[in-house]
Amino acid sequence: MADKEKRRSGVAAPEMPEMPEGKATKSDSDREFLSQAGVGELLRGAILKMVEARSDDPIGFLADHFCHLASMSDRGAGTAGCGDGDQLSNGPPSAGAREQQHLNRALWHLRLAHHSQRSAFSNNVRVAYDLLNLTGPGKHPGETPEGQEGSCTESPTGGGGGGEGEGGGVRGSLYTQTLQCLCSEGGVPASTSAPLLRRLHCHDHEAVPYDVFRHGVLTCAVFSDYIRQAQRLYAEVCCPDEGPASRALCLAVLGTLKEALETSQGCDATCCVNANTKANVCLEANVKAIRYLKASAKISPHKLAAAMSGAQARGPGGNMDAKEFENAAADLFITRVKVVS
Amino acid sequence: MSRFLSSVDEYLGDSHVLFYLSDAVTQLLEHKEEYSQFGVSRYFAEYFSSVKNSNHVLFREFNYITATPHNRSSFIRVFWRCYRQIGKSGELLSVLEFRSLLQLLCPDFPVEMVQSTGRIVLMDDAVDCMMSFSDFIYAFQLQLYFREFLDSVLTIYQDLLAGKSPNTVIVPTSTSVEQLPPVATEENDKERQQRDGVEASTLAECVDALCDRFKHSHPSRSSMTEILAEKDKICFYSFLMSLSKHGGVNQDIGALPSMAELLIDPEMDQELDKLVAQIAVSPGSNSSGSAVIGLKEQQRKASPRRNIHHRRKMEVESDGSNEETDSSEN
Repeated sequence: MADKEKRRSGVAAPEMPEMPEGKATKSDSDREFLSQAGVGELLRGAILKMVEARSDDPIGFLADHFCHLASMSDRGAGTAGCGDGDQLSNGPPSAGAREQQHLNRALWHLRLAHHSQRSAFSNNVRVAYDLLNLTGPGKHPGETPEGQEGSCTESPTGGGGGGEGEGGGVRGSLYTQTLQCLCSEGGVPASTSAPLLRRLHCHDHEAVPYDVFRHGVLTCAVFSDYIRQAQRLYAEVCCPDEGPASRALCLAVLGTLKEALETSQGCDATCCVNANTKANVCLEANVKAIRYLKASAKISPHKLAAAMSGAQARGPGGNMDAKEFENAAADLFITRVKVVS
Repeated sequence: MSRFLSSVDEYLGDSHVLFYLSDAVTQLLEHKEEYSQFGVSRYFAEYFSSVKNSNHVLFREFNYITATPHNRSSFIRVFWRCYRQIGKSGELLSVLEFRSLLQLLCPDFPVEMVQSTGRIVLMDDAVDCMMSFSDFIYAFQLQLYFREFLDSVLTIYQDLLAGKSPNTVIVPTSTSVEQLPPVATEENDKERQQRDGVEASTLAECVDALCDRFKHSHPSRSSMTEILAEKDKICFYSFLMSLSKHGGVNQDIGALPSMAELLIDPEMDQELDKLVAQIAVSPGSNSSGSAVIGLKEQQRKASPRRNIHHRRKMEVESDGSNEETDSSEN
């Protein structure tokens, strides 16, 4: 509130220098109005988001942000202030509709920052998680700790993973939906992402704790990037005019990819050797893997070229089309994703 | 996080976001009943959308318009959009007439700035003369957008005229400053000096030094150097006039199209044709404010010899601009 008050008083003061009493009552009623309308929170949230996102166009970002909030509150019942006669009943809307709203909003948050912007992304994941956590009646605090022991996440200590707030966790179906949307929005076709989602899957009735949620979201975000990179790689390898690329070529490229991932896997192994590792280490390793992948794709073209020219001389005949290449690349990634059990 | 914090202020400062947030809150408080009926999120959404689309400066006070570079360029653009039809008709207007036009868009627009603009266009001579829309708007753009810079350059120029050496100009705050004794000239010489101006190269040096330390916006150094390289001697207002007509400077500001395209407005032409058709059907329908009617009268007086088509276009244009401002206001 402080900064908003400061701004407000900075603006209010020059306007009314001659009326001390008048000023007091006016600014009091102003203050009351603003706090009633929740302006302070609204602005604080907006500024935080903006500073994290560091968009090139801050004004545009704010416009979008507020438009989004406005349309959310227009659609939703029960949120402050919009008695604008939308055809919503005065009672709570159906659980499904509300859930959908929350999902949309959570996805919007997750889209704001790229996963490489670590702190911004983490914050957005947190916000999204809290949003989805509020949804629906199906919150079973008791289920949380034992249900989700992905080997990548630390076993939550007795009180559930680090203060999730009201509920025990996000409902599994919502979690799965989130991941599906992330993948499809990221440009990954459903068939490609299906195996990944199977690995990250939580049962519909289960309550997903924050760590698992974050792991899933991050993996999907990284996977989307990875698939896009793979698609680009295929485009480099294959000339569209000449039809699908030769199988040998593709296999060679994929081989290089695999090597790159395995190199990073070696780092994973050493990391995981340390006892009581925190969840973040594994997550970081995932991200590192992608970084290695990108690096290798970019900085060792001669290695790739060597592999390719070698492959052209020998190796299996036939062609590999984009889809197959993509699936194979996806496979390389997915095999490295730990299964959430 | 600390490594991000140091640039947060910069990030916020450059975009003047806090200023806009503050203004949004002030406006909200001033018009509580009107703005809060749709919810504050919607209000802020509208406010920032209008800032983004440069629609936010219409009918605002002068201080708001000049508060940020974005506001200034938005205002210039709004002025252009509202009144470019005047340019099409070839009207010449006086300083006060232009000021009236400006006041329609900004009620407290000061006459001094319009007069300064007039001085640029008319080279400080006979400020009562009439100006074309095109000359005016580019000079106005320069004057409004780079107001602080022009003031500083004028000070430098006057110092140079008075014979002070460039070094004294560069360090204005220093107290122990060496001044050349003012050149003892006769009246004629002084006048001649003012007409001819100063050494362009000297001015260029001083302006360059000014840019090094200047906090506000200024035209690009390359464009200024280019202009000052053209002549040996240059006077202040011809320098400004050249700046105003410089394509690069115009592009950098980004508010107005190039001179060749200034008067092109196919959409408005279409709208006007439609309006003319409507007016022909129902002449009493468009009742504009008295100010606009006054404007129409003024324009008719100013150029009696015009064909019917143009005059009708002028009438409709006033309505058109009214339409436009009305719709922007919503």
